[in-house]
Amino acid sequence: MTWAARILPLLFAGVFLFAAMRRVKVYDSFASGASEALPLLRSLFPYVAAVLVLAELFEASGLSARLQEALAPAFSMLGIPREVAPLVLIKPFSGSGSMALLSDLYAAYGPDSYIARCASVIYASGETIFYISAIYFAGVKMRRPALPVAIALISNLAAFAVGCLLCRIL
Amino acid sequence: MNRLFLVVFLLAAGLLLWRDPSAFLPALLRGAGNAVALCISLAAVYAIWLGFLQVARDAGLLAGMARGMRPLTARLFCTREPKALERIAVNLSANFLGMGGAATPAGREAMRLLGASERAEYARSMLFVVNCSGLQFLPTTVLSLRAQAGAANAYDIILPALLAALCALLIGAGLTALAYRRRA
Repeated sequence: MTWAARILPLLFAGVFLFAAMRRVKVYDSFASGASEALPLLRSLFPYVAAVLVLAELFEASGLSARLQEALAPAFSMLGIPREVAPLVLIKPFSGSGSMALLSDLYAAYGPDSYIARCASVIYASGETIFYISAIYFAGVKMRRPALPVAIALISNLAAFAVGCLLCRIL
Repeated sequence: MNRLFLVVFLLAAGLLLWRDPSAFLPALLRGAGNAVALCISLAAVYAIWLGFLQVARDAGLLAGMARGMRPLTARLFCTREPKALERIAVNLSANFLGMGGAATPAGREAMRLLGASERAEYARSMLFVVNCSGLQFLPTTVLSLRAQAGAANAYDIILPALLAALCALLIGAGLTALAYRRRA
């Protein structure tokens, strides 16, 4: 992966050099962009906190474990192995939580097993839907706020089924 | 989101009340603490990317990129507003390249700017759903985790992951277009 590590420094240096040739004051311009970081986070923090609190409660209360039991038959009908069901459930809430689960699955089944490959594909092709919706829709008025979230959940679940199928045949 | 928050919160609180009431407050604080830690690390990430993007914008690079992607984005999001289209172009390409730190601020701004467009509700939903498909050229986190765990061939999940994410994108975009289609 050495070539991939070179992309970022090249990108930054290339853009800054190009900007300088166009007589952009790179220092001022960078600072004015960076100044928006804290106001942005100030507006996002309450929503991020709410979602992460919910994720923590979801795990700690055992609700997640119960839901896994209840949904395991449905998942196996979609061809998603039951060992990765926890990942499917936690992924929409929390990126760091699902990353920890992914490492656990690698450790338990070996990184080359079918389970681990399924989990990798689910981690990579799924998104932290509730987290993204909290951030993207924060302070945005929507007439039907649940609709896009439902669509995203359905399309992610379909992608997981396809991904697990592909892991079996590829 | 309001309903989901309430339902999950009450269910979890109820379960804890019955199983282990003393675990309730620590769980809440752990969640909020995670949010504080996340936001602090995000402050660094966003400062870098927002600064970088401003330099690229002042150099006219983003406008060029937005023009290149316009045939696709203008149609998909039903808007001609150049500022919104520029943010969307940044958001989509940053996501595809796995630079989440650049994608989120641009996506946020696009959400705000799309409010002025004629079909704001549709365009915002489409942007959200497309962002949720997780389409990424190289899933770097998974690859490095798998390589660390000693996988023989860490790269063999790239193709299935790409295809699965593409599938999510197509289904999501299709459903969104269907759900918000203009009544004839």
